[in-house]
Amino acid sequence: MSMTRRQALASGAAVLATTIARPAIAAKEPIQVGYLPALTGPSSSTGIGINRGIQLAVQEINAAGGIDGRQMELITRDTQSDPTKAVNGAAELTRGQKVSCVFGPVNSGESLAVVPLLARTNTPQVHPCWVDTLTDPQKYPMCFRNAPTNQQIGGAANRYVVEVLKRKKVAVISDTTGYGTASVNAYVPMLKEKGAEVVYQGNVDAANPDVKPELLRMQSAGAEAIMPWSVNAGFLSRIINTRGQMGWDVPIVGQTTLGIGLIAGLLEKHEYWANVYPNNFRPVCFDGGGKLTDRTNGFLDRLKSAKIEMGDTLLWWIALGYDSPRMIAEAMKAVGTEPDKIVGYLNQLKNFPGVYGDISFTPERHNGYPDEQVVMVEANSLKDGAFKLAPGYSS
Amino acid sequence: MVQSIILTGVAIGCVYALIAITYNVMFSASRVFSFTAGTLGMLGGVFGSLFISRMGLPVAIGFLLALAGGAIFGVVTEIVAVRPVLKSLEQHLYVLSTLALALMVQQFTAIEFSTEQQPFPRLLDLPRVDFDQLFWLPMLACAFVIVGLELLYRHTLIGHAFLAIAEDNYAARALGLPERGLRMASFAIAGGIGALAGFAGGEMLLAFFANAPTLTFYGFVPVALGGMGNNRGAVVAGLLLGLFQQAANFLVGGIFASVAVFTVFIIFLLARPDGLVGSAVGRRV
Amino acid sequence: MDSQVTQVSPVRANAFTASALFTAALPFLVLLILGLTFPLFGGGYWGVIATRACVYWVLVSGLNLVVGFAGQIAIGWVALLTLGAYTTSVLAAGNVMPAWSPYLALAASAVVGAVFGLIIGLPALRLRTFYFAITTLGFATIVTQVALAWQSVTGGGVGVPGPLFPAPFASQWGFYYFCFGLAAICTWMTANIASSRFGRALAAIRDAEVAAEASGIAKPALLVTVFLFSGAVAAVAGGLFASLQSYITPDAFTIDLSILFFIAILIGGRSSIIGPLLGTILLTVLPEFAAPLVAWSTFLYAVLLLVIVLAIPGGIAELLDFKNRRPLESDRAIVPRPELVPRLLGKAPEAGALTLHEVALSFGGVKAIDGLDLEINPGQVHGLIGPNGSGKTTTLNVISGYYAPQRGMVRLNGDALPALQRHLRARARIARTFQTPRIVGSASVLENVMIGGTIDGEATFVESLLSLPRHWRDESKLRETAMQALATVGLERLANVRADRLQHSELRFTEIARALMLRPAYLLLDEPAAGLSSDEIARLATLILAITRAGTGVLLVEHHPDLIFDICHHVTVLNLGKTLAAGTPAEIRSHREVVNAYLGG
Repeated sequence: MSMTRRQALASGAAVLATTIARPAIAAKEPIQVGYLPALTGPSSSTGIGINRGIQLAVQEINAAGGIDGRQMELITRDTQSDPTKAVNGAAELTRGQKVSCVFGPVNSGESLAVVPLLARTNTPQVHPCWVDTLTDPQKYPMCFRNAPTNQQIGGAANRYVVEVLKRKKVAVISDTTGYGTASVNAYVPMLKEKGAEVVYQGNVDAANPDVKPELLRMQSAGAEAIMPWSVNAGFLSRIINTRGQMGWDVPIVGQTTLGIGLIAGLLEKHEYWANVYPNNFRPVCFDGGGKLTDRTNGFLDRLKSAKIEMGDTLLWWIALGYDSPRMIAEAMKAVGTEPDKIVGYLNQLKNFPGVYGDISFTPERHNGYPDEQVVMVEANSLKDGAFKLAPGYSS
Repeated sequence: MVQSIILTGVAIGCVYALIAITYNVMFSASRVFSFTAGTLGMLGGVFGSLFISRMGLPVAIGFLLALAGGAIFGVVTEIVAVRPVLKSLEQHLYVLSTLALALMVQQFTAIEFSTEQQPFPRLLDLPRVDFDQLFWLPMLACAFVIVGLELLYRHTLIGHAFLAIAEDNYAARALGLPERGLRMASFAIAGGIGALAGFAGGEMLLAFFANAPTLTFYGFVPVALGGMGNNRGAVVAGLLLGLFQQAANFLVGGIFASVAVFTVFIIFLLARPDGLVGSAVGRRV
Repeated sequence: MDSQVTQVSPVRANAFTASALFTAALPFLVLLILGLTFPLFGGGYWGVIATRACVYWVLVSGLNLVVGFAGQIAIGWVALLTLGAYTTSVLAAGNVMPAWSPYLALAASAVVGAVFGLIIGLPALRLRTFYFAITTLGFATIVTQVALAWQSVTGGGVGVPGPLFPAPFASQWGFYYFCFGLAAICTWMTANIASSRFGRALAAIRDAEVAAEASGIAKPALLVTVFLFSGAVAAVAGGLFASLQSYITPDAFTIDLSILFFIAILIGGRSSIIGPLLGTILLTVLPEFAAPLVAWSTFLYAVLLLVIVLAIPGGIAELLDFKNRRPLESDRAIVPRPELVPRLLGKAPEAGALTLHEVALSFGGVKAIDGLDLEINPGQVHGLIGPNGSGKTTTLNVISGYYAPQRGMVRLNGDALPALQRHLRARARIARTFQTPRIVGSASVLENVMIGGTIDGEATFVESLLSLPRHWRDESKLRETAMQALATVGLERLANVRADRLQHSELRFTEIARALMLRPAYLLLDEPAAGLSSDEIARLATLILAITRAGTGVLLVEHHPDLIFDICHHVTVLNLGKTLAAGTPAEIRSHREVVNAYLGG
């Protein structure tokens, strides 16, 4: 739930009044958790998906009595996919509202600006952004990541292309955004280390209506696999469409957005979606027998009964959103709301059973997502938001 | 490779040329450049997606509604952003009023329609071929508009009236021509042309609010190069721009392609501020 | 001369007293106090917002000179914010060379900003308004793309950390005071420029370009100076921005931000410092007041812009302009005082004749002037009459350098006057007025007249910027001379009134006052009596004669035969671009062809 400034001031005044009144009543005050999603703006699809999960989790936590009788109150500031507004929002959450901890931002560009600010105000932070440099246990001891890093994502995709599909000549393509260019920069050396030959490497303007020259170039360079890294559905669908028009039968392996429902709507033929393998996460995928884990099934049931829309987003975003407040709540139930205590608890966290993944931290490693749970899936196996594992994928 | 560059270059060049014509028609009627030309192109695509894909209307109806929507927005531009500032002595106000209106519509579209690219429907139910409707629809639209405008200006009374207003405003009024009505009609036509550009180019560009700033810029380049108010120059320049852009994309890649286009444009403009075909400057003193 | 000449009008005594200055400075003082004491009542969160407003104002104060004063539609100025942010950050972080001190890095980025401000701004000298606007947008995109592509230096998509300023500016409030200090300095500097001949000259370029040229203002040099300054402060703002953000990536420099800067100036009002300052604060703070507003913030800015453009083009500055709300006297008479002319014009100029020799000029197929000879001598009124389209105004325009003759020569004192060098005419002490009065509507009458004396100023831009003594000497001398000029033409009571409130006839006399500021050897008057009542024409006549008695030569293009025949020493009659007749008024009056062609029976 979001608050207007007026509401925030009003509730602040109320809190002040009750604190003066009687300590016993003060103990029932809600626990304020800050939340910095990008709900609007160009990079908002992730934030919107995550938001659905978060809202559900907070409702469930509060319905079950909250944290030691205290309700969890989410204070939201939409960053609009803009690092400037993210900084303003973070300042308000920590210095204006004085939240106990912050979840987010969900886009790397915003996190890069917010992490130092939150460190200065001694606020514990959990975020799901992928850029590698966003966690640094020495510099930012209170910042944790409950999602994979770029290295993990790229590593899984590269492993699949080189070791499972056994393709040696690879084309890596992205758009001209920060994420795209950073990814290409990171993954090309990783591929080379694996012994692959990067025959094509390019950043293409996502607004360009025609990617055929690029694919023709890849083809004439002898590429055996295409690896696109972009969150732009239009751009990705053009690549898939062009490959199909050319009748070029090479696998497309890359960003999770390749599997989003919106892509299906942008494809010329549904068959084109075959031979496309995006990243995804084992806990929310169908196993060899076509079944989801009990945990995930239970989650899907809860989504259905809460009537949460899934068709236009990715299940793992909702799952990630769902897990995050629950993890924070568990920490607070165990050790209270003091920042140092929360950080201490998280530093010892072992296999927190998230729907999205089993999160563990150590004092030296603040990247909580396990390597083995990053997997590749078949894009066109999308059903109920979940996918089948890609063929040849070792379980 | 080359075939692809030429096809896409010419097709997208036709879209740019149509936006340039939109600018020109509005300029002819009011001596004002409106920032809303690119927004009209965006609306053409968005309306097409909205009416046909989302609301399920037949393609022909969706097409007519999209054009009507563009025409309406053109008239709104004239009433809200152009007419009030024409009376004022301060020349540059129109830049600001049309900019404000364009921004408002873009933001509204982003928030209410979508911040992502949305699918644009396949307009004609034909199989996909190399020389696909994706490419020849914009070319057809461009040819249609050029011929149509030519016929309008040369062979109809109302077209002559448009030319008169453009040529010499005062004389036309002295002759009793209804200046205001003609100007509104011009803006309506311009609105229709802009929407047509976005609609015909929709399968290429998809329905996306951020097409507006792109088309505002790339649609203006042919105007600047071809000479203000010069439609033929705009078409030639538009095609050249489309081809150059695709070639640059191919040769130097995505990031530097747009840098290349901007740089060449700015250098060219500095060398020839009045475009390839200069136009007479009015008396200043 | 008359000893009562020096009676100072009541207006002058009021205008520049301490109280008037205090009223003008009051809003700034209030903001200064609020800003200095802000940490006492604002919390940490509002501290971030306030710091941001200061950083934005550093950029906007410079951009204000470009957009608000010079009237250039520079929409893409965020390019300079980006450049400054990256330059400061990269130098301070030590990516390409050993790390610099953040202060040096900031200074370096100011230099980079100045250079690029010039590059981005230069097209303004060649291109039309809308075209220039589009090119600035292009630049903004190019800079962002380069930041993305140049990974080795800028970190590409991942970006670079912003600079960290050492104590005492390292803490939140320390950094706030640093930014506030810079913002205050920028306010002071740009306010100095605003009330200097440069600020007035910029407004003249914006609203009355032809008059600016005639007053000797060289547009290119002035715009270059302004672009350099504006670019430099924008880049400094970029460095501060990077520090505030702690980390910069290309996606932080959005077109939305550029539009915010631009709109802040426009809702603030042109030729104002306080207006855009309040506008910047407003637009920075507005989205913070309601969370749902955040998504709609750019939409709201656009609505605000549209409303301002349509309803209050003068913006906040116009709303705050209380003194111009007071009604003016309704029956105002213009009573020039010709006896003040000698004091104003000083020593008689030593100039030879102004001659035209076989000048010809065609526009397309139309021969506007077809072999014209003319001689104007100092101390005399030379009338130029003829039917419409006979080439009178064109002749005047050729003399004052707006058109180049295709044949023939214009000479002053035997030396050729170079064609099209309009702003050099002022140095040659040739002044003129215009057929339609060209004035800066939003400036006061006094300021308009002071524009006429721009080239007499000695203080450089930097001296005005820093409010050095020579600037003040210039200003007081200019103001005094301008008041004399206004007293001479009889408009001193309207000195502080905004010029667009004046009647047509008063504007004509204002133009004459402005022209007299040049202490001209030759004064070219283009139909000065048009729209004047017969009383006013009579007074004009006396004034013109007084001007010639002081040694100035006057070329009078006119339609009013009475005025011509009453005061001219010589008259030339033009028809179809050629001389139909020339001689004394008596000769002309009875000249048969002239009577047939023009005067009537």
